[in-house]
Amino acid sequence: MADNAQTSWTGGNKPKPSGSGSTASAKDKSRAASRPVAAKAPGKGGKGGNTARPGGKPATAAKAPASSRSTTLLVWGAVGLVVVIIAVLAIVKLTSSTDLSYTPVTPAPASVVHDVTNIPLSVYDTVGVTSPTAPVNPPTIIKAQKPLTLAGASPAMLYIGAEYCPYCAAERWAMTAALSRFGTWSGLKITGSSHTDTDANTSTFSYHGATLTSPYLTFKSVELESNQPLASGGYANLEPVTKEEANVYAAYASKNVQGWQPGTYSFPFININNLAVIGGPSYDPLVLAGQTWSSIASGLSDPTNPATQAIVATANYMSASICASTQGKPGDVCTSSGVQAAAKALGINAS
Amino acid sequence: MPTLRWQPLTTLVLSLIGLGASIYLTITHFDKVALVCSSSGAINCEKVTSSPQSVIFGIPVAMLGLLYFVPMAALCLPAAWRTADRRIHLARLVLAIVGVGMIIYLIIAELFLIKAICLWCSGVHVTTFFLFVIITTASPIVLATGQGAADDDLADLSPADGVAP
Repeated sequence: MADNAQTSWTGGNKPKPSGSGSTASAKDKSRAASRPVAAKAPGKGGKGGNTARPGGKPATAAKAPASSRSTTLLVWGAVGLVVVIIAVLAIVKLTSSTDLSYTPVTPAPASVVHDVTNIPLSVYDTVGVTSPTAPVNPPTIIKAQKPLTLAGASPAMLYIGAEYCPYCAAERWAMTAALSRFGTWSGLKITGSSHTDTDANTSTFSYHGATLTSPYLTFKSVELESNQPLASGGYANLEPVTKEEANVYAAYASKNVQGWQPGTYSFPFININNLAVIGGPSYDPLVLAGQTWSSIASGLSDPTNPATQAIVATANYMSASICASTQGKPGDVCTSSGVQAAAKALGINAS
Repeated sequence: MPTLRWQPLTTLVLSLIGLGASIYLTITHFDKVALVCSSSGAINCEKVTSSPQSVIFGIPVAMLGLLYFVPMAALCLPAAWRTADRRIHLARLVLAIVGVGMIIYLIIAELFLIKAICLWCSGVHVTTFFLFVIITTASPIVLATGQGAADDDLADLSPADGVAP
């Protein structure tokens, strides 16, 4: 490098033809003024430009100091190290078995949580239960049942699903919004449904590790399986079902869950205080296709957005069912026109 | 490396490219405007830019890019390359090293945490890497001599040749 440096700095520029010395150009004058190294008297050397200093060492690689060669090695060593690091990262990634399309579970960004848990009341009321472009299925109302008790608390709501399940992915948007009207979420994650199933990679939340704190009802969730595919097929187990939760599923799934088969779980399964049961998709996840968490969440302030209409209408149905279980509490939610419209459609009293 | 003729111009151009991409990514971060980029599969800019790793210590990574390329562009101006002030050349070198360290972290985040790749971000990474290569290899020249780049070396950049820094 030092040899290069000397080549660059002491004799690097093209020498000008001899004979120009007596009439220095403006360029030479400027150079003399700006650079001490070129401050030799113009015109005496005849060459101008950056000629080698008198008595200076020839700029040859053979005579370059050893320390300069060390600098060269150090510099190119650093560049080589960076190249190697990046190459190793790429190779490790390419040779690993993990599919790039698989959506990992990560903490939900604060902006997404804020948008989905703070949908304006005007949007709930404007949408009601009507979604012209994304039809919504109401929950099944089961009357004359004892209120649901979970872990000794009532009223209660139970959700059983899986991270890979695309219908659960759609349902969680509405459920997260609806439950935020009755309590406070913590530990919400974001993820996507299976990348190989129908409605692949639907952006959604995961309730694994999330809790809802509410003065009005107890909410329990079970994410039975992850969305991480196993080499042997299927998905990794995530959360076990308690005996109490299994009994609730067994009591209501056979008549209310699409695709139910004895001894198996079909998703999603939502039981709102033994009053309302959701046993399949409330709306088609296709309305969320290709959208990110942030685009879905930010769209929730627009009542004309098809995804918003599907999510909010479903949330109003859920809210009305919860209000019917909490004796109309909280009042501002349960007496809102959106919830009242849902209660009327379901034939229940939400206030 | 016979001269520094092309390095100053190249680093300035690279800095401006990085600055432009960072401005675009910052705008889309705050305005939630969809990036002009694939949003499915392994190439998914929105998935990367809306991921938890897109914010470091409360500062969006896109804005960190902006905070990196603004001073870098200034340090790659012809006047900065010409100056005899070693601190300027050291600052440029340090910034280049910090930049490449950051892109190694971001590549790890994309490949192993987010599991998606953002093409705009990759463009910025490539720009930062080449800035690192050029500045790292050029810096010993300017630091060893204790002087800035020759006026002639920057002739293509300077409207008035030989102006003292």
